[in-house]
Amino acid sequence: MLAFAIEDMLIEGGFRIAGVARNLATALAIIESGVCDAAILDANLSGVSAAPVASALALRGVPFLILSGYSPEQQPSAFSGALRLQKPCRPDRLLRTLRGILPDQ
Amino acid sequence: MTSPLESTLIAENADLRARLETAEETLRAIGGGEVDALVVESVAGPQVYTLQGLDAETSRLRGDMLAQVSDAVIAVDDDDRIIYFNAAAEHLYGVTASAALGRTRSTIHGLRWQRPDDAAAATTALRERGEWRGEKIHITQDGRELNVESSITVPRRVAGQPASLLVVIRDVTERTKHEEKIRFSEIRYRRLFEAAHDGILIVDPRTRKIIDANPFMTQMLGYPHDQLVGKELFEIGLFKDQAASQEMVRQLTQENEVRYENLPLESLDGRHQEVEIVANLYDEGDCSVIQFNIRDITERKRSEEHVKLLIAEVNHRAKNLLAVVQAVTQLTSKYGNPATFAARLTDRIDALAAGQDLLVKSQWQGVELSDLVVAQLAHFEDLIGARVLIEGPRVRLTTAAAQGIGMALHELATNAAKYGALSTPAGTVRIAWQITTAATPAFAMSWLEEGGPKVAVPTGKGFGQIVIGRMAQAAIDGIAEITFGESGLAWHLSAPVENALVLTEIGTIDEFAHNRPC
Repeated sequence: MLAFAIEDMLIEGGFRIAGVARNLATALAIIESGVCDAAILDANLSGVSAAPVASALALRGVPFLILSGYSPEQQPSAFSGALRLQKPCRPDRLLRTLRGILPDQ
Repeated sequence: MTSPLESTLIAENADLRARLETAEETLRAIGGGEVDALVVESVAGPQVYTLQGLDAETSRLRGDMLAQVSDAVIAVDDDDRIIYFNAAAEHLYGVTASAALGRTRSTIHGLRWQRPDDAAAATTALRERGEWRGEKIHITQDGRELNVESSITVPRRVAGQPASLLVVIRDVTERTKHEEKIRFSEIRYRRLFEAAHDGILIVDPRTRKIIDANPFMTQMLGYPHDQLVGKELFEIGLFKDQAASQEMVRQLTQENEVRYENLPLESLDGRHQEVEIVANLYDEGDCSVIQFNIRDITERKRSEEHVKLLIAEVNHRAKNLLAVVQAVTQLTSKYGNPATFAARLTDRIDALAAGQDLLVKSQWQGVELSDLVVAQLAHFEDLIGARVLIEGPRVRLTTAAAQGIGMALHELATNAAKYGALSTPAGTVRIAWQITTAATPAFAMSWLEEGGPKVAVPTGKGFGQIVIGRMAQAAIDGIAEITFGESGLAWHLSAPVENALVLTEIGTIDEFAHNRPC
């Protein structure tokens, strides 16, 4: 539900969706294919920590932000340094932040 | 008429006369050879000395001393008749000497031995050694029970037979009562110490060494009692080193109490505990001791941590849910008719709530699909079993699957009620699911409507369509198909089992292929 809403928000905002991943394997595959310029991560993916995804993105220099229901104190250190947004998040703030982390094009 | 002064003088005179009479009687008794022994009070108790063969002068001196003694002294003849009864005896038994003389001892006081064999032991001792000392109970004429210490001697023997007895009696009733009080007190407080569910350590503040430890303490530390006594606190892991231990004593001496809210403690056998320590300085006679009360708070800390985690988790889930509601609001608004926005949104939030209830009830361990179907068809519960048929094995859905399928079921039901099989009295809905046993097992679910009004393929893309289509399949990474056949709407959803269902530890599915009409 949330993913769809975010997808919708992004399309409205003029972005193209490279892919939606519900698990680690899919996420890593999408990153591998190199099609994404930025990513929005939930702190965990179907119960598994998204930390490996964050590392993979960081490795490739792909900017990302984290959307989570957990407060900053509760999130693992793997995410420290990344931009964090709390759920629920207003669409305009999400888009603004996303534009902010993308390199100027 | 006598003046006060005269009365006083008369009374004093009478008193002096009485005392003189007693003294004279004593002297007469001694002089007359009726008293054969002298009692002298010493630290070890009354000591008896025989008076045989004394000259008159010494006898008189000793007679004076005998009269002064605070222990009761009674001498008896062969027939147990009293031949001497001193002032202290008069006082103890409440009988004057003149009244006592000539009577047997049993008429003056009752007797009870403390132990059954004491009587025999006394007799034997007197016969063999000529003396006996021990404790017994005397009962006075007015019923008072006295604990007494008696010293009995046979001062004169004739051909080996006891001729008469000299008895010295010390009233130890007060002392006995006092001792008993102390004993019970000791029992009570020792019991508290031994049975306490906190560790207690008694430490000498000068040497900082342990003097005593209670059983709970030995259990906490894993050291037996004899290995604790004499050790310094840092040697048993309570303080880091000697300096820390010294510092603690210094602080304690200054403030009388020291408290440590949370200290780690490791037992000898490697158990790690969290403890709370309170130390107090107490006076014990002319020196002081430190008493440590040590409480194991490991469990409490663990509970506190657990509660913190739970609260954080609750917060997280609440935020998540709000985000979902926000998303539903956005999408309902975007894809719906403004006129029906409030009603549709309320309905959808209702459906979310029903799903949430089931998630909580199952403690996020997997929602029973049959429960979910019934919950989302709550409006039509009286049709279930008749116009609405539900068939499928017992399976538990993952959280994501439950949310996606739950919302899809809500939309399908709403749609059926408005335009489909549930909008006419003749229409039926069949909801079924199964696990297909293909090469890779798949979860397959369907919603089939029949007997409803003729359906037209919808033109626009309402939010409802998106929910039962894209969202449902996205939730389980599977495929959703919607067809509008002659009889009515048909919806099929399928995905690999592991995407939708909670599998048991051994990787199989609960109660495989068990059809249960609800």
